[in-house]
Amino acid sequence: METSYETIVIGGGVVGNGIAYHLSERYKEGVLVLDKKYPMSGTSGSTQAWVWVHNKTPSWYAEFNMYSAELYPYLSKKIGDVEYKRTGGLSPFFNESDREKAKQLAESYRKIGIKIKVLSRDEVLKKEPSINPEVAGATYSSIDGNVNPFRLIDMYMRAAKKNSVHYSTYNKVTAIQKYEGKYIVVSDMETYVCKNLILAGGTWTRELGGMLGINIPVNQLRGQILVSEPLKPFLNYTISGLRQANNGEVLMGYSMEKAGFNRATTLDVIQETANMAVHYVPSLRKAKVVRAFSGIRAMPEDGFPILGKIPGFENLFVAATHSGVTLSPLIGTLMTELLVDGETSIPIDRYSISRFN
Amino acid sequence: MLDKTTIICRCEEISYEEIEEVIDQGARTFDDVKRLTRCGMGPCQAKICTNLVANIIHEQTGRPLHKIPLPRMRMPLSPIKLETLTTDSTSFSAVKSVLDEVELEDGKVR
Repeated sequence: METSYETIVIGGGVVGNGIAYHLSERYKEGVLVLDKKYPMSGTSGSTQAWVWVHNKTPSWYAEFNMYSAELYPYLSKKIGDVEYKRTGGLSPFFNESDREKAKQLAESYRKIGIKIKVLSRDEVLKKEPSINPEVAGATYSSIDGNVNPFRLIDMYMRAAKKNSVHYSTYNKVTAIQKYEGKYIVVSDMETYVCKNLILAGGTWTRELGGMLGINIPVNQLRGQILVSEPLKPFLNYTISGLRQANNGEVLMGYSMEKAGFNRATTLDVIQETANMAVHYVPSLRKAKVVRAFSGIRAMPEDGFPILGKIPGFENLFVAATHSGVTLSPLIGTLMTELLVDGETSIPIDRYSISRFN
Repeated sequence: MLDKTTIICRCEEISYEEIEEVIDQGARTFDDVKRLTRCGMGPCQAKICTNLVANIIHEQTGRPLHKIPLPRMRMPLSPIKLETLTTDSTSFSAVKSVLDEVELEDGKVR
């Protein structure tokens, strides 16, 4: 078995796979992706997978997300059908007092070229007739949408394998050492050597950093989601809180709890989520819930991605972020540029890990 | 006897062949197969296909059956109406609104 690689990516989630696939397009050197389980068994397989731009603040971070959302149509042309739909995104509000905030948001986005409309009650109901008629208004952006996360990762992997990327799954990394300008990666099944090492372990990135004595401040945040039986298509937009998948299932949920790595679903949050869903879309009352699931999101300490080189460690890179689904095509592209060209087409300095010092 | 076209998951209409293919791609547990094919994601929530899939994994990989983990069972176990889960509460704690997360600083978006 091959144990020497030019580049090893630790983590086969939506971020690690996005990097591996984009690397494989330009880079014919050996690339290995290591995953402690099978990809999708963690965060990337337990998400509503909105490709979401609008409402992200500050506006420079929204801009970063927008560039990534813009890459999706091209990505799905390249790797195959990932059920990406640019539905447009609606964030309803139920108090007239929120309109001022919505207008402020629209104004700050206008300056960077992202169009957000602040809709009146009637405009919301015209766009999305199933919304609760008590709605006061909504912010709307045409850039938002959603994707099938399982299709996305499966297609990334198939495309990367076709381009000679190797995968080793159910193979947990247990130690990393730096030795004579190379990295030695010890895993359950094998010991590998590589020149470039990319830490893309999502929620586990802090542990990976610890193996080299580096503090990568990524925490865990639990989200719980309910899935309905397949319903006839009736939701036109990705609504912040719920969306309808291609097969008719409605995914509902937007919860955040600090629960470490505990992936349980809990009755209190399931009930709150049900309350939110029927508050937004009253006709869901009669829809049946088929299952509930929870996912542990990666959340960098200040909420923003941690991307790029790790100072003091030659050829060591990190890519850890929340919103991995939205940002995956852009992060994959930029990390590839950084590795292959030594610089990125969009500056990523503000996402450097050095900001935490 | 199962052949390639035998339907293993009736809810999602997933055939033996489709499951075989993802095991070939590296799937090793029921939940891996589920995420790759939707086998077991339908209304019965894997009540029918669990053992069938475990057998296929066993056949393809040689892994002993007792080492193939069971799928994670999900609430509510059997489909129930959303209104059964709703309560009278009008306040939210863990569930957020996207717009509530937008922070204003001096009356302006950060």
